[in-house]
Amino acid sequence: MKQERVSVIAGNAFATSDAQGDMEVDPRAPVGLFSFDTRFLSHWVLRVDGERLKALSRDDMTYFETRFFLVPGKASHYVDADVSVIRHRSLDDSFNERIIVLNHSPEPAELTVRMEMGSDFADLAEISRPRHRDITVTADIVSGQLRLCYERARFSREAIVSSTAPVDVDRRGMTFRIRLAPQGQWETDLHISMTVRGEGGRDMRADLTTHRHHVRREMREDLRDWLDRAPQLVAEREPLARMYRGSLTDLAALRYQPLSYPDRILIGGLPWATSLYGRDSIVACLQTLPFTPELTPATLRMLALLQGGQLDDAHDEEPGKIVTELRYGEAAAFGDQPTSLYYGAADTTPLFVVLLDEYERWSGDATLVRQLRHPARMALDWIDEYGDLTGDGYLRYQSRNTRDGTVNQSWKDSDGAIVDRHGRQPDLPRATCELQGYAYDAKRRGARLAREFWGDPAYADRLEREAAELKRRFNRDFWLPRRECYALALGPDGEPVDALASNMGHLMWSGIVEDERAAAVADQLVGPDLFSGWGVRTFAAGQRPYNPVGSHLGAVWPSDNALIAAGLRRYGHDVQAGRVIGGIFDMAQTLGGPVPEVIAGYPRDLTKYPVQLPVAGRPQAWSSGALLMLLATALGLTPCGENLLVDPALPDGFGRIELLDVPGRWGHADAYGRDRSAGEPGRRRLH
Amino acid sequence: MTTSAADYLRRLGSDRRPDLPDTTAGTLRLDVREDGHTEHWYLTIADQRVQVTRSADEADLVVRADRAVFDQLATGQLHPAEAMERNEATVQGDIRLFMLLRRIFPGPAGARHPRKAAGKRSGPR
Repeated sequence: MKQERVSVIAGNAFATSDAQGDMEVDPRAPVGLFSFDTRFLSHWVLRVDGERLKALSRDDMTYFETRFFLVPGKASHYVDADVSVIRHRSLDDSFNERIIVLNHSPEPAELTVRMEMGSDFADLAEISRPRHRDITVTADIVSGQLRLCYERARFSREAIVSSTAPVDVDRRGMTFRIRLAPQGQWETDLHISMTVRGEGGRDMRADLTTHRHHVRREMREDLRDWLDRAPQLVAEREPLARMYRGSLTDLAALRYQPLSYPDRILIGGLPWATSLYGRDSIVACLQTLPFTPELTPATLRMLALLQGGQLDDAHDEEPGKIVTELRYGEAAAFGDQPTSLYYGAADTTPLFVVLLDEYERWSGDATLVRQLRHPARMALDWIDEYGDLTGDGYLRYQSRNTRDGTVNQSWKDSDGAIVDRHGRQPDLPRATCELQGYAYDAKRRGARLAREFWGDPAYADRLEREAAELKRRFNRDFWLPRRECYALALGPDGEPVDALASNMGHLMWSGIVEDERAAAVADQLVGPDLFSGWGVRTFAAGQRPYNPVGSHLGAVWPSDNALIAAGLRRYGHDVQAGRVIGGIFDMAQTLGGPVPEVIAGYPRDLTKYPVQLPVAGRPQAWSSGALLMLLATALGLTPCGENLLVDPALPDGFGRIELLDVPGRWGHADAYGRDRSAGEPGRRRLH
Repeated sequence: MTTSAADYLRRLGSDRRPDLPDTTAGTLRLDVREDGHTEHWYLTIADQRVQVTRSADEADLVVRADRAVFDQLATGQLHPAEAMERNEATVQGDIRLFMLLRRIFPGPAGARHPRKAAGKRSGPR
C-alpha cells in the first residue's frame, strides 16, 4: 500500500510528510523539507509521552498551508481522546509549524512533547541513495535553537530551528515538558530558516513570530490577487469551474523567484522538477497566455539571460541555445552533474522564438520584442549554425557529454523514446519530426518580428524562404505514404523511423503539415491505436515497443494533448479536437486534484478509471497549464489584430461557459460558448 | 598554456563583440583576492563593447572571488554559474549582469562544434 504523502509548496521550496505530518527518509520519494534542490530537514517526528500520533483528519487549507488533527496512539488503539494535537504547518521562505496540545479532561495533565529533528542535506538529485555528509549539529541551549549545518569548501547550507515556547534542546531534537490545566491548551511555534549562504543580504534574525505572520498573510493576499487577475470562468458544469480554479492555484504554487531574476517564473513541478526547466516553462507560458500572461515576460527574460554563450561539451552548450535545466544543488554546483546550467535540448531554442512572437500577438508588448531582438536573433541563428548537425537542413541532436548527457533531446527525453515500430533505435544524430515543426514555426514567427519590429525586411524574407523550403522538404522526406503518417524521426542518413506516435500532433500545432494531409493525420491521432479514450498516447498501440506504462512509449501526457488539440483546431478538425479536450477534462475530473504529468495508456473502456503512474509528479506546471490551454482551444481564443477572436467548438457535456475578462492588447474581453446539446431545450445536462 | 584572469583582462580589446546583447549596459567590478589584498578590475559594458580599467569605484555588480577562481573562469575551466553556486564567487548588485562573464571569458578549451562532434557517428547506447 502506497503511503499517503502530504506536501506544502512555495515555489522551489516544499515540505513533504506522511499523513501525520512526520518526515522520515524514504529512498523512493523526496520526503522532508527542501529548498533550492537541497533537503534541509530529513527527519521531523512528533511524539507525545514517547508515542507517535495518529491522524484523525486534515485540512489542506491552501498549497502553502495544512493543518493536521492528531491524537496519541497507534491506529490499532482505541482512541482515548483526553489529549489531542494540532500541527499547523505553513511554508513561505521559511518553514513554520505551530503545535497545539489540547487537554480535554477535567484533570490537569503533564506531558512530554518531543520533536525529533535531523538533516542529511541530500541533493534532490540523489534521494534514492544520499551519500554520507558530515553535518555540524549545534544545540544552543541558551537561545533554544538547533542549528544544522553542512559545508563543503565555501558551499554551505544551514537550517536553524527555533521555538517560541521554552524548550530543552539537544542534538537530536527539542523536548517540551508541559503542564496543562483542565480543558487547557499549550502551544509553540517552531520556525525553520533555510540559508543558502552566499545568496547575500537575507536577514535570518527577523522577529520570528511577526515575520512569519506577515509573510503568511502576504501569501494569502498574493494568491487572491493572482486568482483575481485571471479571467473568471462561469460554467454551467460546476466541475469545470473547480478544475479551472484548481489549475490556476497549482500554477500559483509553482512560481518561484530565481536567484538571478527579480520576477517569478515557474518551476517544472513536484517532486523532482522543483527548478527551472526551459521546455516546461516555455510550454506552460504558451498554454497560459490568455489567463496568466504575467509569467511570460519574466520567463523570456530569464531564458535570454541564461542563453548559451560558448561551446561547452559537458553542458551541451552552444552560443544562442536556450537552457533546459537550471539547478542549485550540490551535484550541480560541483559539476557532478552538468545541471547547474544544462543545454541538452534541441527544442527549447526554436520554442523560445515561438513564445516571444505568440506573447506579442496577445499582449501587444512591442517593447519586449525590441529588447529581446538580440537573443531572438541568436536563437534563430542557432537553428542553422548549431542545430543542423549533418548539413541536410534538419534540426538534430546528439549530446557531446557521453557520461551524463541526455540522449534524446526533445520533449520525449527518455533513453528509449525514439524507436521505430519494431523497437529499433536510429543512430545519432537524430532529427525527430516535431523539431522540424518548431524550427519552421520559429522561422515564420521570426520573420514577422523582423518585419514588424526589428526593421529588417531582408532578414524576414530570408526566414520566410527558409521556412517554405523546410516545409517542402519535410513533407517530401518525412511523409510515409503507405502508412499515411509522418515518420517519428530521421536517422543520420535520412532513413525514416516509421513509428506512429503523438509527435504528429505537434506538427499540426506548428503548421508544417500540408493541408491535404491534415485529415489523415487527424484521424490517426484519434484512431484506436493512438487515442486511449482519455487522450492521445505518446506511442501507438499495435507496435512492438508499445507499453501503456512507458512514459514515452504509450502513456498519455496532458501537456502533449494540449498542443495536439490546438493543432487539430488549427486545421479545422474540431470534432477530433473535441474528443481530445473532452478526454483530458474527464480524466482530470475523475482523478481530482492537480492534473498529473502523465497517466497510463490503457484503453479507457478497459480500466474505466485513469491509471496513475508512480513516476508522475503533480502538480506540474505544463499539466496544470494544459487544462487552461484546452479550455482556450475549446473556446477558440485567438488574437486577431487588436481583437480577441472567439470561435467555440466545445466538446459535448461542457454545457454553457463564459470566460470573462480575458486580458490582452484589447484590454479585457469576454468569451462565450456552449456545446451542441446545451442549445437544445430539454437536452440540457443538469449537474 | 595557462592565462591568468589579469592577463586576459589586460589584453581584452574594446572591439565590438557581436555576441553581447546590444540592449545590455552596465558596470561590473571584479574583486580579485590574493594574499590578503584585493585587485579591482572595472568593466564597463555598453554597445556590445567592454572597456576594462582598474578602479575600485562602485559598480552595478560586484563579483568577489580568489584569484585562482578568476583564473579558472578566464580559461573557461569553471562555469560562472557553478562558481556562484559553490559560493566561490559571491555577487552583489545586479546579478543579471553576471552571466555576461560567460561571454566575456572564453569557453573551455577543446570544446567541439556539435557538427564536428556528430561527424563521428555513434549508434544507440
